[in-house]
Amino acid sequence: MTQRRKWTAIPGLLALAIGAAMLSAYSGASSSQHRSPVQPINFPHPVHVQKLGMNCLYCHNAANKSMDPGLPAVATCIGCHNMIGPERPASDLGPKRHSVEIEKLYKFADVAGMGAGMGPNAKPIPWVRIHKVPEYVHFPHTRHVNAGVTCQTCHGQIQKMDRVYQYATLNMGWCVSCHLNGYSPKEGLEAAGYAPQESAPGVANATTAIATGERKKARYDCANCHY
Amino acid sequence: MSQDTKKTGVKRREFLKVLGATSAAVAAAGCSEDTGKLIPYLVSPDQTVPGVSSYYATTCRECSAACGLIAETRDGRAIKLEGNPDHPLNRGALCARGQSALQGLYNPDRFRSPMLNDGGTWKPITWDDAIVRLSQGMTQARGGSRAGGGVFINQHESGSFPRLLDGWLAAFGMPPHLSVDFEADAAAIEANRRTYGVAWPALSFTDAKLIISFGADFLDSWGASVPQQLDFADARAKLDGAPRFIYIGPRRSLTGLNADEWIACKPGSELSIANALAGKGSLQQAATDSGVDLAALQSLANELAAAKPALVLSGVTGENALDVALAVAAINQASGAVGVTIKPAQPLTAFEGMANTGQLLGAVERMRGGQVGIAFVRGVNPAYHLPKAANFAEAFLKVPFRVSFSSFPDETTELCNLVIPDLHPLESWGDAEPVRGTIALQQPVMDPVFRTNSKTIPVALGTADVLIQVAKKDAAVAAKYPAADYRSTLIAAFPGGAQALGAALPKGLAAGTRPPRTLAGAPAAAPRAMSIDGAQGDFFLITFPSPLLGDGRGANKPWLQELPDPVTKICWSSWVEIHPETAQRLGIDRGDILEVKTTNGTVRAPAFPYLGVHKDAIAIPLGQGHRAANAIPTFNPMTHTAGEIQWGYGRYARNLGINAFDLLPVGTHAAGGFIWTATKATVTKTGDHETLPSTEGSARQHGRGIAQAINSADLNKPAGGESGEPKEALPGDASHEFLPGLRSPVAADAQGELGAPTAADQGKNKGMYRDDDIRGMAKRRWAMTVDLARCTGCSACITACNAENNVPTVGAFWQNATIFADQKPGLNIARGREMSWIRLERYFEGNPDGKFGQDFETRFVPMLCQHCGNAPCEPVCPVYATYHAPDGLNVQVYNRCVGTRYCSNNCPYKVRYFNWFGYGESDRKQYAFPEPLNWQLNPDVTVRGKGVMEKCSFCVQRIREAENRATLEHRELQPDEFTVACAQGCPSRAITFGDAADPNWTVAQLAHDKRAYHVFEELNTYTAVVYLKKVNHPAAGATAPRA
Repeated sequence: MTQRRKWTAIPGLLALAIGAAMLSAYSGASSSQHRSPVQPINFPHPVHVQKLGMNCLYCHNAANKSMDPGLPAVATCIGCHNMIGPERPASDLGPKRHSVEIEKLYKFADVAGMGAGMGPNAKPIPWVRIHKVPEYVHFPHTRHVNAGVTCQTCHGQIQKMDRVYQYATLNMGWCVSCHLNGYSPKEGLEAAGYAPQESAPGVANATTAIATGERKKARYDCANCHY
Repeated sequence: MSQDTKKTGVKRREFLKVLGATSAAVAAAGCSEDTGKLIPYLVSPDQTVPGVSSYYATTCRECSAACGLIAETRDGRAIKLEGNPDHPLNRGALCARGQSALQGLYNPDRFRSPMLNDGGTWKPITWDDAIVRLSQGMTQARGGSRAGGGVFINQHESGSFPRLLDGWLAAFGMPPHLSVDFEADAAAIEANRRTYGVAWPALSFTDAKLIISFGADFLDSWGASVPQQLDFADARAKLDGAPRFIYIGPRRSLTGLNADEWIACKPGSELSIANALAGKGSLQQAATDSGVDLAALQSLANELAAAKPALVLSGVTGENALDVALAVAAINQASGAVGVTIKPAQPLTAFEGMANTGQLLGAVERMRGGQVGIAFVRGVNPAYHLPKAANFAEAFLKVPFRVSFSSFPDETTELCNLVIPDLHPLESWGDAEPVRGTIALQQPVMDPVFRTNSKTIPVALGTADVLIQVAKKDAAVAAKYPAADYRSTLIAAFPGGAQALGAALPKGLAAGTRPPRTLAGAPAAAPRAMSIDGAQGDFFLITFPSPLLGDGRGANKPWLQELPDPVTKICWSSWVEIHPETAQRLGIDRGDILEVKTTNGTVRAPAFPYLGVHKDAIAIPLGQGHRAANAIPTFNPMTHTAGEIQWGYGRYARNLGINAFDLLPVGTHAAGGFIWTATKATVTKTGDHETLPSTEGSARQHGRGIAQAINSADLNKPAGGESGEPKEALPGDASHEFLPGLRSPVAADAQGELGAPTAADQGKNKGMYRDDDIRGMAKRRWAMTVDLARCTGCSACITACNAENNVPTVGAFWQNATIFADQKPGLNIARGREMSWIRLERYFEGNPDGKFGQDFETRFVPMLCQHCGNAPCEPVCPVYATYHAPDGLNVQVYNRCVGTRYCSNNCPYKVRYFNWFGYGESDRKQYAFPEPLNWQLNPDVTVRGKGVMEKCSFCVQRIREAENRATLEHRELQPDEFTVACAQGCPSRAITFGDAADPNWTVAQLAHDKRAYHVFEELNTYTAVVYLKKVNHPAAGATAPRA
């Protein structure tokens, strides 16, 4: 190759290689792990889940029945917050304060005042989606929830997140590795942040039973998810 | 560095600068990932789970039959229609037209609000404004000089609405409405009334020993096609006990192609034959009149005499239609049919209370005479359906106030002043009485697609609701309409009220009757009889309603346009059928543009040489040729705005093909029905030529053995085919069986090396590929049988598949290439770039030289991905986008596919289809689902982008859904628990799907039927689709064409 052509060809190919690498790094196939977008209402999971003890399925009620996990309707929020208004009295949840977030909720749900209920001009809260797999992947929440996979295995310890971020990469390799290696209920419990509880000798409890379970295998056939 | 300053090469520094800048730009652009928003409900609807479908029972209104539907809705949107298994008419099946109702619901050219014609410009107006205008118009009409001169032309339907409408009209001093159905056979209805006292008795094909049809296309659009097809297929499935079927007529329709024998008579001569068979004429005279061999007629008469009871049907469309129908009634009575194959005691009420064309023409004459003050049309399009010779537009425009309730911008609506669009039947309340004694309920399956925005009226406004609102505004009438809306009226009339209605809605059926509508004999125009023999021209002109487009109402639905005509396999086009012998004589080739001229008009359309038309006749289908009255710019999907109305019946129908009605004179026969076979035409070659958009590769099998048949006499002979030859062994003595857990002895990856990916799985343990593995995949072998003895070629399976699997339509004229593009509809199909996961192949057998007078046999083969155990497509994919799953499916992974098309190249069945353009990408010109058609898309199936190969997946989404449901309920999958879309809809019940490795599933038993064979078995593909040979019933002593 001539001297001149060498200076065109080699940098050219190098540029192509670097370009390809950078493009693939920023393509859709890469992950949005750790992404934590600002939401229209800064809904605090720790208060509701850890302090108040609400189950994930109370709001995300379709997760054990459907591909979709389900998103709480505004009426689900108003079910409690109709009586739990922006003026918070002192309680075990904190000192007396004005909650800006509950006020935002009242604005969305067109609640005139505490106890008034949803008004006629209520609007749904436009949550910013965090966890999304591409459209050519069909992920069934119901199979996983009913197999005993704890929510926190994939979503991290949401009960501790002041603002929800994406805990796992949700990449295909990450999914397949669990399907191939099997799911351990013990690890799932630990991922959820709960240690198996001790109980009186001879008395079984739910967490100790799970903790001794075998690894659950799952299908890793392409047509299981890609169809 | 080069010292040469003349050449402008890239300098090194600049190159590195550019490189750096590009990388930075790429880095900056790729940062954020937009995942969109999640919008919750305000209040979660009861009894629905997000992501899980809800099913509602309702009634189909695509034709007069009123079959039962189960509408699958997901998150508030209807995505798929199935037949209602409990409905007495369709029993779970659904025809292509019924499936396509969704494309009427989501049609992008539907009116989104009422419209007012303001001096030639159409303006959207509010619902309140529209109701006020209508109400003023009614008050004026009642008091004006043309009082009592109102005409309401309604699409014929059964149920409560016709009576509500008549009551409303009477309250305003107007005569009862005209209930019109252009496809209905007025002659048959009148003959039924005179003979049996009902408009349409139930027909039983299974009880008949012989079926004779005088042009009655009971598998096309004559009568109620789905129940007729269900029963006919059941009758033919009796194999050697099945009745023979003889079709008499000048054109062999789809129904005729399913006959064992075709008697090709001259148009109009059916009367002589019928009279001869009824004993009122001589066979010799019949032979002379019809041009048919006397011997053939003699054997027909003998066969009829021997087979009692027979079922003889008349669907003649000529001037003597009523006479033929009455003669046929006499034949039936003599044959002992009444009460056995014809059951007047169990009538269909579909055609009760129907007005005929003669009465419509009478109303048109009154309009022309200035006697009509106000005219309404709802769901009918007389400006299109009446021939130009009727001058409908001129008469209609004489009416000062013209209102249309149609949803679509059709030709008649364009002539109106005011459009108040009705809700689609899937958005409406209503009822029907499909058979006497059973009420079929109709309920909205979703909120209206285009929300009515009346500020003062809280309900969604269908036509019935609009009529009630108008009545409430008139002091004299308001007292009769206390109910707030039509739904309340229905509840009040339902025995047991709201609670009983609520209990009946899940099944959609209730016992009861609706009082029949008294047809106050509307004055008809005098029958303008004509003799076809006296007409000018060389060829008899036969026009017939298309089995898919009907009388034209289906033309705005791309699924129906894309569905190849079952007989000619042509789509997105009009054509002229001409016999090959005649074509050869005149030097006409397939695709030559012909000019067809009658005394009423001229049209130009491409020729299609077809064995099934009389040599002295040409046949042109009805349904295409919609036009706007005023010129509007050519449709461009990239610049189209929602406010631009596509007059001419919408973007898919406009300026497509020719309107065969233009050629016809206005004539009604003695029963008042329109005469379709009315005149003669001259045919001239224009010298132009086009490639027909057709999916027919070849009309003949050329010895390939794709569609095999066996004579009924040979059915019980030892296995080995018609002549007793032993079944050929496959090379290497490989087995034909569906072995449990094994796809085939030779499918490598389903069994071996690739089935043990981790160290723990090495050796004997094959991981999930083991038969008994808890994951359960390898124990299944999904397979399908297609019974060619049942398949009638109707193509309902194709539309069902398109609806379920988001298969795009590709034939619209804007879906061609972006540059150097021909703006021609059907071009993609003409170029072989068709898109249809299942196709109906149609092969002719016999009469190889195409001589008129020699009979021929037709075989229909639904061809879809065979999910071969030893698939030729799997090893050739360079990116492993297609492979064999442990449960037997040949899987296509869309996101891996890079579009080399090697797989399609290798497929011997040619069942792989490529996305040549971005049919699935909303930002491309070729997008196949313009808003709101994309609401119909099934969320469980990926929408494929450009450059991706796709094919039948055996509805894998349904397989996974069934497996998920079984796991959720902690049980095993039950045999025959679910099925695939094509099998579910098939009105012939020809397709059976299931697990062939489990003997409890029906398919496992059918796969071992003695008629079973694989297509191209000699290629060693080990297909999962097993075909059952068609059973032929040649006349005793005759030899049918060999397989």
